[in-house]
Amino acid sequence: MLGESYPFVEESFSRFPSQSNIYGLCQAGQQELLAATLKGKVVSFRYQELQQKIRPVAKEIQFTYIPVDAEIVSIDAFTKSPPKRGLVVGITFIKDSGDKATPFLNIYCDYEPGSEFNLESIAQSCLNLELQFTPFQLYHTEVHCDDGGSETVFLLSGHDQRIHLYKENVSLHQFEEQPVERLFPELQQLPSNVLWLDMLTLANGQRISAFGCQNGCIGLALVNQTGPEVLKSWRVQFDSPISTVLLFPLSCQIEPNQAIGDTSLEVKSYNLLVTSTIEMAVVYRDIQECGLSHSVCLSESDQWDAVLCALVIDLDFDGQKEVLLGTYGQELLCYKFSPAGGGQFQLQWRRSFKSPVLSIIYLDLTGDGLRELAVLALKGLHILQHSLTIAADLVLERLAQRVTALTASSDVKSAEAPHTEGKDATAKRDLCAAHTTLN
Amino acid sequence: MRSLNYIQRVSLDFTGTLFPHAICLGDADNDSLNELVVGDTSGKLLVYKNDDSKPWITRTCVGMLTCVAVGDVCNKGKNLVVGVGAEGWFHLFDLTAAAASKADSSSQHEFLASDDQRPFFTQHIPANTKVLLISDIDGDGRCELVVGYTDRVVRAFRWEEPSDGSDLGSGQLVLLKKWLLEGQVDSLSVNPGPEGLPELMVSQPGCGYAILLCSWTQQDSSGSGDEGPATPGSEGPSRDVVLHLTTGRIHNKNVSTHLIGSISKGSKEESSKCGLFALCTLDGTLKLMDSSEQLLWSVQVDHQLFALQKLDVTGDGREEVVACAWDGQTYIIDHNRTVVRFQFDENVNAFCAGQYTCKEGKNSPCLVYVSFNNKIHIYWKVELERMESTNLLRVLEEKPAFKDHLKELGLGKNCTSAVQELSKHNVESITWVNDYAEDTAAVRALVANILYKDSQT
Repeated sequence: MLGESYPFVEESFSRFPSQSNIYGLCQAGQQELLAATLKGKVVSFRYQELQQKIRPVAKEIQFTYIPVDAEIVSIDAFTKSPPKRGLVVGITFIKDSGDKATPFLNIYCDYEPGSEFNLESIAQSCLNLELQFTPFQLYHTEVHCDDGGSETVFLLSGHDQRIHLYKENVSLHQFEEQPVERLFPELQQLPSNVLWLDMLTLANGQRISAFGCQNGCIGLALVNQTGPEVLKSWRVQFDSPISTVLLFPLSCQIEPNQAIGDTSLEVKSYNLLVTSTIEMAVVYRDIQECGLSHSVCLSESDQWDAVLCALVIDLDFDGQKEVLLGTYGQELLCYKFSPAGGGQFQLQWRRSFKSPVLSIIYLDLTGDGLRELAVLALKGLHILQHSLTIAADLVLERLAQRVTALTASSDVKSAEAPHTEGKDATAKRDLCAAHTTLN
Repeated sequence: MRSLNYIQRVSLDFTGTLFPHAICLGDADNDSLNELVVGDTSGKLLVYKNDDSKPWITRTCVGMLTCVAVGDVCNKGKNLVVGVGAEGWFHLFDLTAAAASKADSSSQHEFLASDDQRPFFTQHIPANTKVLLISDIDGDGRCELVVGYTDRVVRAFRWEEPSDGSDLGSGQLVLLKKWLLEGQVDSLSVNPGPEGLPELMVSQPGCGYAILLCSWTQQDSSGSGDEGPATPGSEGPSRDVVLHLTTGRIHNKNVSTHLIGSISKGSKEESSKCGLFALCTLDGTLKLMDSSEQLLWSVQVDHQLFALQKLDVTGDGREEVVACAWDGQTYIIDHNRTVVRFQFDENVNAFCAGQYTCKEGKNSPCLVYVSFNNKIHIYWKVELERMESTNLLRVLEEKPAFKDHLKELGLGKNCTSAVQELSKHNVESITWVNDYAEDTAAVRALVANILYKDSQT
């Protein structure tokens, strides 16, 4: 069973001069990755088009105000919520000058029109904030403002059992620390140091937040963003530090063999994946309804040392998401959700790496609509690409289906299919126009 | 330069030291699946099979084994294992029988079969052996045995047996010819010449090579067949050695050079005439040439390349050149000079590449590294879909069905042709560029939409 269905081909591997950690990889822009290594180096990775060929390029970016003796803890980046434009990169590091270690948060953001997305230029404009605590995960999330707009903010957890909020001050054009409870009432009075934080905004404007602590505590809250007001909150205690928490929607199709695009019979529920350093990974199902009461274990996930990172993505293009776990035991595990039989997660394949798997991101690096899996391991960055032969066959097959659906329903306007087709054919141009403005 | 990290490997136990040519992959027991044959300096010949970390068969030879090979030396249509020691002892093993007995006899009887452990044939040939080649070098369809020596001599032998003798053991090696070279011979290879006849090539220091002429073929055709082998070297060695020095960067004239020939071009007809061969040097030069001395490409790297092999990693029938450095850096280069790198994490004692049956019960391309830590590491899943980095759109562009579907969906333009058009006419109108960019973005969005349900972000 194992190895047979492993769908990836290694596209490239970039070796790093020093090791990274679980907070060391982030997506910067649409087709670019930033990886931070311990010894103060930040590497950008992307695919470059040259002479009609694409090639992987890993380049060190010289972010200013990171001293030579600094050790980078975490890195994160986001593009500002519209109508604002621009890429913001945050880097936390500890400067150890011998007698006393000082932690810092550097926020890089270029306000010059035209260079808001230029990494080289962003790296030169730095806001340097000294911290009073040892930083952990640097996270970003979008919040609804009072005026109806939305804004993306940094959340930084620290060893002072608190989470700190960094928000852009519009009048000053720079980021500053603001009290976290004003926007995130659920993040007050934490039981321990938060190692991992995840948030999800629902369609109705509500927010689900989850955090995992060093002492094994999991916190989950449903928050009404206008107010803001905590509607419900749950806590549960694990026996070991929590490495990641991850919120994800999962749709259960009542009738599995429906045409593509038919969402009417789907039941969407929100779930929370929790990985801890000793215990098995657990998925709490349907948290909006059940809170933390309905749990499903991911069997064997504790067999390869601590689970360090997790990702929930649709790897096999069947519309159903898979759970990926990366472990310190140098394995990448893939669990497939089977809606039948009570909704279990079954280990589908696993793949070994040469060093511990620290972080994983699924994004379209090559600019073809097909996403690649970026795996940050202790020794470097692996880019795993779907087998292009198989993917190409799949695209052709589905395209043929669409074309027949389009021609069949061109005169009879009954099904939902022509709606989607029409969108593909004509509204695509609007969509891509939106893409280009984003870029 | 694209670099990769191969993961799937098996580690075999190997205690001892070996010479760089005392390792090879081949079908030792004639079951059409390849084994790994290794000879060590104490004279032990080890044959590994599948992913078993212990040797499948161990045989003992006389002296230090400097080179091993698998091939049909006796021209019986059956592969034999050859081990040659530095002292000149030539050993021949037939492992087909051993495989059969091993299969049907239970393991407790194994020690009784000590008689079978001996080679079925030994012969003393001149000492100081270094490299070995079993191949047809004169185009008669029969294999010869070619041995390179540390004293810059190359000798060719042929297995001959009395016409009435049906037993394999009654034959012996007969010297065909001896060549004397100017420099050290690090590799022996055979490459189809411009006329399609095989040419025996040896590497020469300083990125050079020499073609050794098989003069006995002319004598054969003139009728006095028996005289040829009896007077080896009598005509003076220089006449039969055609030295070629490749041009380019000024080399260290003494730098160790390796060579490999008969690199497959994909189809049999193409490969049989004007064969491709590659050269590599310890100071990091790699060259691919054809037998008409035309240079296809040259690559300079800053690693000390000490082993050169060929391997079809893409499965398209065209063999890639594989070169390995002492520090484990491995280069895989195709005929178009596309490079893929792989860093093996240890220093390398010996390297070879080829087909081996590791797992899954079938031959697959493998990279074999002998480390200095009593291990042989076999990377058994080194196949690549393609050498170049590419993306899905480029793959789809090559499929006519994709364009047809796009046309029907109203996305008619062909991205690749647009790119080519643009590169042809450098000064094109802006609208062209915009059209192209927009089209790619639209196709990209379409692909994402087809593959991912949640791509409406």
